[in-house]
Amino acid sequence: MKISIRHQLSFAVGHGNAHAVQHILLTPLDGPTQKVLRWSIELDGMDRAARIFDAFGNSAQLVSQIRPQGDLVVTVEGIVETVDRHGVVGRLPRDPMPALFRRTTPLTQSDLAIHEPLRDGARKGGNRIELLHRLMGRIGEAYGIGADDEEAHEPAAQTQAQSQSSGGEQSQEQDAGVKPEADATTVTHAFIGACRALEIPARFITGYLAESEDGPAAFHAWAEAYDDGLGWIGFDSMLGICPTDRHVRVASGLDALSCTPVRTVPDLGTPQAHGLSVEAVAQ
Amino acid sequence: MSATPAFDEMRNADGSVREPYLVLDAWLKEQPPQALGLMAADAEAIFRRLGITFAVYGSNEGTEKLIPFDLIPRIISAMEWRKLSKGIEQRVRALNAFLHDVYHRQEILKAGRVPEKLILQNSAFCPEMMGLDPAKGIYSHIIGVDIVRVGPDDFYVLEDNLRTPSGVSYMLEDREAMLQLAPELFQRLKVAPVENYPENLRRTLESVAPNSARSTPTIAVLTPGIYNSAYFEHSFLADQMGAQLCEGQDLFVDGGKVFKRTTLGPEQVDVIYRRIEDDFIDPLTFRPDSMLGVPGLFDAYRAGNVTLVNAPGTGIADDKAVYTYVPEIIEFYLGEKALLPNVPTYNCTDPEQRAYVLEHIGELVVKEVHGSGGYGMLVGPASTKAQREDFTRKIIARPDNYIVQPTLALSTCPTYVNAGIAPRHVDLRPYVLVGDQVRITPGGLTRVALTEGSLVVNSSQGGGTKDTWVLEE
Amino acid sequence: MLGRTAQNLFWLSRYIERAENMARLFEVGYRMSLTSRREGGASEHLVSMMQAAEIYDEFQLAHERADVTSVSHFMLFDEKNPSSVRSCLLAARTNARTERTALTSDMWESLNAAWLEFAAINPKSVTGAKLPELLQWVKQLSHQFRGALLGTILRDDGFAFSQAGSFIERADNTARILDMKYYVLLPRSNLIGGDVDIQQWTLILRAASAHRSYRHVYHDRYKAWNIADYLMLRPEMPRSLIFCARFLDQTLASLDAIYGKTGESRAAAAALLAMLESNDMDRIFAYGLHEFLTEFIARNNRVTETLSETYNFY
Repeated sequence: MKISIRHQLSFAVGHGNAHAVQHILLTPLDGPTQKVLRWSIELDGMDRAARIFDAFGNSAQLVSQIRPQGDLVVTVEGIVETVDRHGVVGRLPRDPMPALFRRTTPLTQSDLAIHEPLRDGARKGGNRIELLHRLMGRIGEAYGIGADDEEAHEPAAQTQAQSQSSGGEQSQEQDAGVKPEADATTVTHAFIGACRALEIPARFITGYLAESEDGPAAFHAWAEAYDDGLGWIGFDSMLGICPTDRHVRVASGLDALSCTPVRTVPDLGTPQAHGLSVEAVAQ
Repeated sequence: MSATPAFDEMRNADGSVREPYLVLDAWLKEQPPQALGLMAADAEAIFRRLGITFAVYGSNEGTEKLIPFDLIPRIISAMEWRKLSKGIEQRVRALNAFLHDVYHRQEILKAGRVPEKLILQNSAFCPEMMGLDPAKGIYSHIIGVDIVRVGPDDFYVLEDNLRTPSGVSYMLEDREAMLQLAPELFQRLKVAPVENYPENLRRTLESVAPNSARSTPTIAVLTPGIYNSAYFEHSFLADQMGAQLCEGQDLFVDGGKVFKRTTLGPEQVDVIYRRIEDDFIDPLTFRPDSMLGVPGLFDAYRAGNVTLVNAPGTGIADDKAVYTYVPEIIEFYLGEKALLPNVPTYNCTDPEQRAYVLEHIGELVVKEVHGSGGYGMLVGPASTKAQREDFTRKIIARPDNYIVQPTLALSTCPTYVNAGIAPRHVDLRPYVLVGDQVRITPGGLTRVALTEGSLVVNSSQGGGTKDTWVLEE
Repeated sequence: MLGRTAQNLFWLSRYIERAENMARLFEVGYRMSLTSRREGGASEHLVSMMQAAEIYDEFQLAHERADVTSVSHFMLFDEKNPSSVRSCLLAARTNARTERTALTSDMWESLNAAWLEFAAINPKSVTGAKLPELLQWVKQLSHQFRGALLGTILRDDGFAFSQAGSFIERADNTARILDMKYYVLLPRSNLIGGDVDIQQWTLILRAASAHRSYRHVYHDRYKAWNIADYLMLRPEMPRSLIFCARFLDQTLASLDAIYGKTGESRAAAAALLAMLESNDMDRIFAYGLHEFLTEFIARNNRVTETLSETYNFY
């Protein structure tokens, strides 16, 4: 499927700073599930940016502005061709050692109640893929996802702001019900935390989700867990499925913090999203 | 305080003088009664004038103290030094190989020689360093290895310091002071020079400049500023090797390169000897609240446009819990047995060892895994009942947070004290530079516990320093 | 050189010069107060001296009465007064400590020793004859530092920034001393000054260490017109405005030569110098001495501002 993406963010830089510096993680790479046909990021200072691969194999840019003023606007545009491989990403050339993704972080603590009942299965070396699906099911139950279609999909769209703020803020539109609040970042952290508690390497993924009849376009988050045979496999706990050809994979890391799409110094806070469209285009 | 009397570096048990100290002993006997007292006063004046001071943690900002200098040198024979320096070189090579491995293919973890959890879950492990290739593959360029001696041939490595070891300026100034105070001793003994340390430091730093750097790389020393306890050393080293001393605000990153703000405008920097801790070097990548660092520095480093010395994440190799595996690490990478032994260390997560530790806590030394500077430490034989109970509780609560070692009878050296000359416990920190080659300065910094019987040599806890002489053949 | 280093060197010299000038100013106020014949005059002299130094508002915050004890403590030892000798020496030493690598060891040692000695003084012990002795000591330490600087430092940009700091501060101080007593220098119909005038003139000259050299230059008794001329327009007088302005101008010219560019600061220094070179005392008196000095101080400040813009002080 060909997916066309347009994403615009802005930050209020204000006046008086001698310098502003950004670390940008908004560049998808080719892989078994996708091929990037066109991609561009526009931002003041981009012409002088340093392009680097970070510790997790992501393509990142370091951008700086001297005496920035007013608003800093990031415009992302591109076309990516995707293939539905039932979430199997396999192994990417720049992937670090999978064992790294057993490292727990403050954002990926796991709730005993979620992972403990699965421990036996993990220990016995049973079918890991089946285990991971069961785990995704448990997360869905714990966060009340899938009980009601609307509830399941709406939070996905909120991920934009959510993952930008490094997963720190809570979604405000959720009803304060009995279930913990569900948004893509939170449930993905829960899934990853449980995997790591079971000693299965798991990583955080950011990406774009194309709009469909089931839901709007989103800057989205899901997880990938490692299987010794198949390599990395995606699990979108928010949608309760493995990523499909509607998912465009952008960056991976230990948690939302290491995948923050735009990090800035001075800290410019949460960006304003001016527009996001992720659409399948006719072949 | 320990049961057996400690090994004295100057005198044998029968009172006779050990060979390396014969000349010093003769010289001491020649000195008129008041001479040493006057020399000590001169020494104090020299140091005060030079402005060699350190700030004590927890005391008022700007409070400056002089680290006491003891004018009786500590002497190491050529043969002893050969043995030590071989062992040290082996250790720093293996630890650099280890660092490269844990930040790349992690073979040692896959082989199960070092527990994966100990490395990957360790707070000293820096995931951001994964896959990064530092210039010449070197991670820790400037290392201080803490060594203790308990017998004529018994040296142990107490700790490796691969992050930002300090104290080298004291080594240099102590020598400077001794040359002024007792020039005649240097005529009678052939003492290996330490004065070329700054030149060697510069060569080492130049040798690890990025490939893109000009033929004479621009070097900067990055300091947290004058309120840091080691500021004197930062400025001293920058001066001695002709590098620019910078604070974070003096540097900025543009186009993935690092520049300093000069009176003429921006000038690119190739190598940064940073004396700021990992967490603070770059608010864009690490602690966002750091005011000391340079935003974007780490990305510039990843882009290969600047070399950071030492690399971030080297702390995983001097972590106190990883320390116990160093002999294993040496074998794994070099295929050799460790030349210098570790101090035997109890692992409190093992129930049997923990039981032993808790029963014998009064005889042991307990160290916090991430503590330093003599803080968070219990010296069993010198502890009070309350302290022992406190540490017992702490070990039970978090066994992985402590390592425990026997109380070593650190060797003693004659030291000038109020009552004349008396033995005091010492340790030794030789300084190693790793670049195009491994350079070890003969000697290093001898730290001395000035309180009678004390085994804590840290300057923050009332320790002093001595000039350290390695005799040449 | 780092912009911050340039800034630190500039201020280091200014602080030392200021410490010396504070001692000089206080000495004037102190002597005036000792020899004052009128009741309450002692306090008045000290107050006008503090007003000249622009520290009187600060003084009033903490003190009700200006007498020798309170003013000497305020000007010499008070940590809260940013211009006290103590504050100046501490700031100078802090700058020096920051810039150890840009100073020679002689400069550092003279400054460090001075600070350690000063910090050891118990302010309460400084009474009677000890007070003038201490003032003399402060001047000496400034001379000593200047000597160490002139004798050992490389004649590079660091030297230039340092010198610029000294002469801007010194010009500022001389202008303030003159302004403090400008009215006793105004030409009057009575050409021969009375006792009180002579006494005040002497003190003005003393504050600039100029009371003896005056005779060598003018071969005449003290006269208001001469004194103003001496401290403003005589190029051979090292604390005169024109001397400082010329030196500053040359210093900034050398900085331009080192850096191969023409900074805005040079233009500011030229504007400062032009005020003096294009004038004589008659025209200055006609313009208004106080007005002239005010303008001079403003232009002098402008040199500091442009320096910091041109050479990236931050």
